[in-house]
Amino acid sequence: MLASLFLIGASWSLPQGALPPMTSQPASQAIVEDGPDGLTRAANRMTGGIISYVRWPDGQSGARRTLCVIGAPRLTRQVAPIVPSGPPVTVRPVAAADVGGGESCDILFLGRLSDSDRQRWIGWVRDRAVLTITDDDPACVRGAMFCLAPRQKGLGFSVNLDAIGRGGLRVDPRVLKIGQSDEDAA
Amino acid sequence: MSKRPSHPETARTTLQKLLSRFHFGITLFAVALSGLTILLAGVTALRGHADRTLELAAELGAYGTEPALVFNDPQAAREGIEPLTGIPGIARLRVLDDRGRALTEWTSPGEDPAPLLTRLFFPHPFSVPVRRNGSVIGTVEIWGNSSTLTDYVRLGMLAGLACLLVTACGTIILARRFEYELVKPLNEIATVAHDVRLHRRFDKRVQTLPIAELDRLGGDINALLDELQGWQGHMEDERAMLAHRASHDPLTAMPNRAAFDEQLDRRVRAARLRGERLALLFIDADNFKAVNDGFGHAAGDAVLVALSNCIKEALRPGDFAARIGGDEFVVLADTIDGAGDAAALADRFRACADAPMTLPGGDIYHASVSVGAAVYPDDGSDAAALLTAADASMYADKLSKGSQG
Repeated sequence: MLASLFLIGASWSLPQGALPPMTSQPASQAIVEDGPDGLTRAANRMTGGIISYVRWPDGQSGARRTLCVIGAPRLTRQVAPIVPSGPPVTVRPVAAADVGGGESCDILFLGRLSDSDRQRWIGWVRDRAVLTITDDDPACVRGAMFCLAPRQKGLGFSVNLDAIGRGGLRVDPRVLKIGQSDEDAA
Repeated sequence: MSKRPSHPETARTTLQKLLSRFHFGITLFAVALSGLTILLAGVTALRGHADRTLELAAELGAYGTEPALVFNDPQAAREGIEPLTGIPGIARLRVLDDRGRALTEWTSPGEDPAPLLTRLFFPHPFSVPVRRNGSVIGTVEIWGNSSTLTDYVRLGMLAGLACLLVTACGTIILARRFEYELVKPLNEIATVAHDVRLHRRFDKRVQTLPIAELDRLGGDINALLDELQGWQGHMEDERAMLAHRASHDPLTAMPNRAAFDEQLDRRVRAARLRGERLALLFIDADNFKAVNDGFGHAAGDAVLVALSNCIKEALRPGDFAARIGGDEFVVLADTIDGAGDAAALADRFRACADAPMTLPGGDIYHASVSVGAAVYPDDGSDAAALLTAADASMYADKLSKGSQG
């Protein structure tokens, strides 16, 4: 009898104590270190992070990926993704007009482009397993999957779920969640 | 009724109280021991449970904050650990990046109910590394607090207290019953012993008792009472015999002088009270010395026994006869109407005594008696006067016979 009462006591004590949920702060962004290279490093780190959370349908998680830089990046002087223990990335510039030259690209980094070039590239990506990242679309409405954008105190990114849904890539939902909350914040 | 050596009153207790105290003590000990054991076992189990909870929470935190660490995003880290803040028993959370700097930190708004318990059970935070493709990119640290433990202990204490109450009540009732079963037979034995001692009720016996040891004690007491009763009866017989011997003549088995004196006083008083009459007859064997001298003492005794038998036969119910001397007998007869009745009685004695008797030697002897009578209140108003009058009357009778022959 005594033991059963103790068990009852224990089961009562457990569900109790739901603490007030943490209040979410809308302003969120990656910390950008001070200095001239701070933003570049943050952008490259963010690009690398996104790449590391993306799975290509070929299933080779450690396979080398080719990142093609199209147009002039706005936030980074040089695109060099820092991928934490992820796949090695080769960076290759491709001329904005040369859509056929992107045949070997796994990742497109879209810098500043004309609307027509951008639309061409976005159209080219459709039905291909290619990740698109841009730093020239803070609202993330112009077709790229991930959009880097400066925030109040650093750097953030947004996701375009339509674009991700159209593409043939698998993206870790945790990253999508971060991107969405960033989108909300923006 | 001798008093037992007096101890201070406080030193004495009843068996019932003693048993009650022991029972309560044992019950308390047992319940406390089991309660403590269960409480300790529960705390240990709960502590393991809490440890696992913290570990799982840390793993969950590591999973949730991994992208945040990759993107170095404090807001994402905060969101990553947010699901953990609803888990009770977590005091503090911290997410460190690969360089050991805190990306985000959360402290429970609830106060630690027992910091001592927390220090005792959760002295160090749970630290789980956050890995990204095999390399450590950060750490999630979780500090537990004692809230779940104190909740459990508090509820456990309450439950234990309730159990203690219930068990104590139950045990007290059972103990009462047991005490009653034990004390009742003991009381029965004590009552019998008391009755025997105080009222000399040697016929009292202890009834059959349900407890073997007490029944044996009761049986022994009964056996002792049997013996006592035997002794008592024997003593009473002895006393009656002694009393009879003291008041009776051994030869004729008639009352003796002492008994007669007492009887005479009593009857005179009774006659005086009731206004009745009382006759005192004095009977003396004639020439008794000659019987003794001529035929021997055995013959004398035989004559005396024969005379006493004559007197006994002649008596009416209620009359009293005694041998008060060697050959002297007296008879007290109530409600004698007059001297005539007394004279008739005297004649009956004479007639009986005159009957021929065979002496032990074979000789035939005719005894003769002199009888004197005195009637209360005509011849005397008290015992001494009556005796004197009867004596005088008897002597007159004897002398008249002497003058005759």
